[in-house]
Amino acid sequence: MNKGFGPVWVIAEQAGCEVEIVSLQLLGKARELADELGVACEAILLGRSLEESARKLTEAGADRVFLADDPALEFYQPEIYRDIICSLAHEHGPEIILAGSTFMGRELAPLVAARLATGLAAHCTGLRHDRNKDLEQLVPAYGGLLSIVCPEKRPQMATVARGVFKTPEPDSSRKGEIVLIPVPATAEARVRTLEVVRESSSSIELEDAQVIIAGGAGACSPEGWETIRELARTMDAALGCTRPVVDEGWAFLDAMIGQSGKMVNPAVYLAIGISGEQQHMAGITGAKLMIAINNDPASPVFQQVDLGVVENFQEFVPLLIAKIKAYRQKSCLQP
Amino acid sequence: MIDFTFTEEQEMFRKASREFAENRVALFVPEMEKTGKVPPELVKALADAEMLAITVPEEYGGLGLGFVARMIALEEIGRISVATAMMLQVFALGIDPLVRFGTEAQKKKYLPKLASGQRLASVAVTEPTGGSEPTAGRTIYSRDGDNYVITGRKCFITNAHIADTITVVAKDENNPKAFSAFILEKGMDGFKATHEEHKVGMKGCNTGELSLDKCRVSAECLLGEEGKGLRVSMAAIGDVGRGGMVGCALGLQTACLESAVKFSNERVLYGKPISNLQTIQNKLADMKIDLEAGRLLAYRAAAMQDQGARCSNEFAVAKYFTTEAAQRAAKMAVDIHGGYGCMEEYAVTRYLRDAFVLGPSAGTSDIMKVIISRWVLG
Amino acid sequence: MKIVVCVKAVPHPSEICKIRIDPATKTLMRCDVPLAVNLLDRHALEAALELKETSGAFVSVISMGPPPAESIVKECMALGADRGILLSDRAFGGADAFATAFTLSKGIEKTGSFDLVVCGMASSDGATEWVGPQIASFLDIPVVTMVRKIENRQSNEWLVISDWQNGYRRVQIRLPALLTVTRELNRPRALSFSGIVKARKKVIEHWDLDALGIPEELVGAKGSPTIVSEMTTVEKRRNVEILQGNAEEKADKLVTRLGEAGII
Repeated sequence: MNKGFGPVWVIAEQAGCEVEIVSLQLLGKARELADELGVACEAILLGRSLEESARKLTEAGADRVFLADDPALEFYQPEIYRDIICSLAHEHGPEIILAGSTFMGRELAPLVAARLATGLAAHCTGLRHDRNKDLEQLVPAYGGLLSIVCPEKRPQMATVARGVFKTPEPDSSRKGEIVLIPVPATAEARVRTLEVVRESSSSIELEDAQVIIAGGAGACSPEGWETIRELARTMDAALGCTRPVVDEGWAFLDAMIGQSGKMVNPAVYLAIGISGEQQHMAGITGAKLMIAINNDPASPVFQQVDLGVVENFQEFVPLLIAKIKAYRQKSCLQP
Repeated sequence: MIDFTFTEEQEMFRKASREFAENRVALFVPEMEKTGKVPPELVKALADAEMLAITVPEEYGGLGLGFVARMIALEEIGRISVATAMMLQVFALGIDPLVRFGTEAQKKKYLPKLASGQRLASVAVTEPTGGSEPTAGRTIYSRDGDNYVITGRKCFITNAHIADTITVVAKDENNPKAFSAFILEKGMDGFKATHEEHKVGMKGCNTGELSLDKCRVSAECLLGEEGKGLRVSMAAIGDVGRGGMVGCALGLQTACLESAVKFSNERVLYGKPISNLQTIQNKLADMKIDLEAGRLLAYRAAAMQDQGARCSNEFAVAKYFTTEAAQRAAKMAVDIHGGYGCMEEYAVTRYLRDAFVLGPSAGTSDIMKVIISRWVLG
Repeated sequence: MKIVVCVKAVPHPSEICKIRIDPATKTLMRCDVPLAVNLLDRHALEAALELKETSGAFVSVISMGPPPAESIVKECMALGADRGILLSDRAFGGADAFATAFTLSKGIEKTGSFDLVVCGMASSDGATEWVGPQIASFLDIPVVTMVRKIENRQSNEWLVISDWQNGYRRVQIRLPALLTVTRELNRPRALSFSGIVKARKKVIEHWDLDALGIPEELVGAKGSPTIVSEMTTVEKRRNVEILQGNAEEKADKLVTRLGEAGII
């Protein structure tokens, strides 16, 4: 007996003029979920100058894209975005709404969920349908994995970080419907984003990096952090960190790898002065080679990596840097 | 009926003390280990956190919270830094004779500044002739009109170089059986701190010698009755001094047990954490038993102290037990760490060194037993 | 000015690793872990206390939790809050973020009129980040999350700085409003002995389901749209090789492995 499912939606996002990669990744997954239910996969995109992004969303799997395109929406405007999404939801009755665990998603998704009086799971690392075609939302916790479901209310909502799902291959032959949504007047908005300012100086996006060096609480000192930076420079690696490093002010939030930070999938991950706490390790969705340098032989991190070095990193890393340079010299000299 | 639980307020004192110890005191430990010096900012932090005011009565600018509260604070600070707890406990030790035996004028003069940390206190009894035999001391005083003139030398005095207000005990030049206590202030002519000790443990807690060279003080500096000076100082040392050592020792016992548990839960040998091995479990149980017993002895004596009851015997038992237990706990913790227990980066090595210094402070274990046997024999 | 701060009693961060899923029974292994005020809520309370000091604001603290959570509300009183309320009832148990936010919003309404609600941006256990924005939704007030700085307070139009991708956004918000805050906002004051003594006489109000006057179906597990259907443990997937030898030898081996992996 057909249950009559509604469509699967993604609240997509544009940063500057580019569609967010997490939106494309979620569309890839949404497409899969929609196909399992036999329904449409659709996206909602709000902002300014969205045509290019709308096309990319279609190529990633969206059958239809709802666009709220207006100069007034150059920046994220919480109450307007929420009202538009909720209004569309009331009209179309989606089965599932996904959003990226971006700064916008983490504020907007709960606002939408509260307004729609429905459930929302945070920072999921997996999504799948169970036997009843309910959406199982997988969230790491307490050293394991929780399966969260929203059995009664609809839509079922979840936020997912970039890097959990693969970026789908764009299919330029896919055609999708574009629906323009009128934008209500903004004059009376009780909360308004006036501007967005960029701060970070990192050039390599962690989610794309092949080699990541991450420093943890053990590295929170001027000399410590500089030593790790030096190694990252030597290895041409991206620099990540754990929460204590951000809290102590050694790095910006955008360098934080973990369940409520960035999800990464590099070829090599080198953890320095990191204890291996679950919140952080959950951010590494895959790495071919994981290495840890830590002076505590009992540190839990050593149970979670391929290679372990029990040394004080302040002494070991400079040695490692010298050896790497020597190795490179030697390889240059060989015919 | 005996209620062995702490009150909600006492639990909050513990939380406040633990937070202070973990967030502020901990930062100073590496520096103290390296230099052996007392960081002035640490003393200021203790004062700002009202730690010096705990045992000063409210009417003299203190919090008047009593000795159970003091024990809680010392325990929590000792868990992070025994050196800091020792320094703090001797501040209170220096305050106590003034509270108990000071005249109204003396209390008004000294206590408010000691409570706020503007001035720091200590007590000087021990001399090279032996702290275990206070009556053998050679520091003497003589009367000269309205003044007293004191000459002698005190050693192994905690806070010698940083204290401003020190209760010093000296023998009557004319009567070897009569001792008097004097409130001396740094800067008085003929009174100064000289040699500084380099202890193997409790680094960062200042221990040193005081030299008195014809130090002339007015009669206002006499603390308590003339001739009754030993009673003044030994009362303080017997309760407050011993009680302070108990707080330091309990903190160290807790630190040893926590580090032993952490290491044995994480260290994997033969495919399992070593906490699965009975030989390790035995040691952890021993440490736990000693900690439970030590805490009961400590808080029983401190509660008696708050009620105004005589408790120097109970403190002798608690001091003996906890300082010995802390030494055992440190050795067990080091053993559990295996080879890493010998490496300086591991806190357990500091625990071992700190534990040594607990023993002879405020009365050796042997002296404690003499006192306890007197209690038994009556 | 009237401010309400939402605080949560969480397992003490140093002990939270003790709470684990039992691989055999697939349920949480219960253990006695001491409670603490959620760290980010301390920052929220600090923001309110600073406003109390500069503008004479009245600060109420509200928490939803079982009876032992009263101790952390008391702690907030000792830090300087004027009023402390604990929402406690068996019926509130098992609540997800939605039901928690709903219950708290009813409690906040019951305190009377307010100008500002402040929450930590997330709790150290759970950490969905949903409760703050959802409380705002139920109270129908605007919200800004992840506030790291309050730049300007002009009557009831405030300018705040909120964390954003690779930077921050500047947001204008009209009171009454809700802010969730980050650690960067301020440095929470320490619990002090004299504060604890001053809080001796203060009484914590206990409000149960009847006091809030809401139906049981809207709170706790019954009022939660989401449930945890299963807990599984994650198997260790890597076999670690601890490099042996002295530092030199280990560095050599590591370089060799990195070379083999084509990284250098």
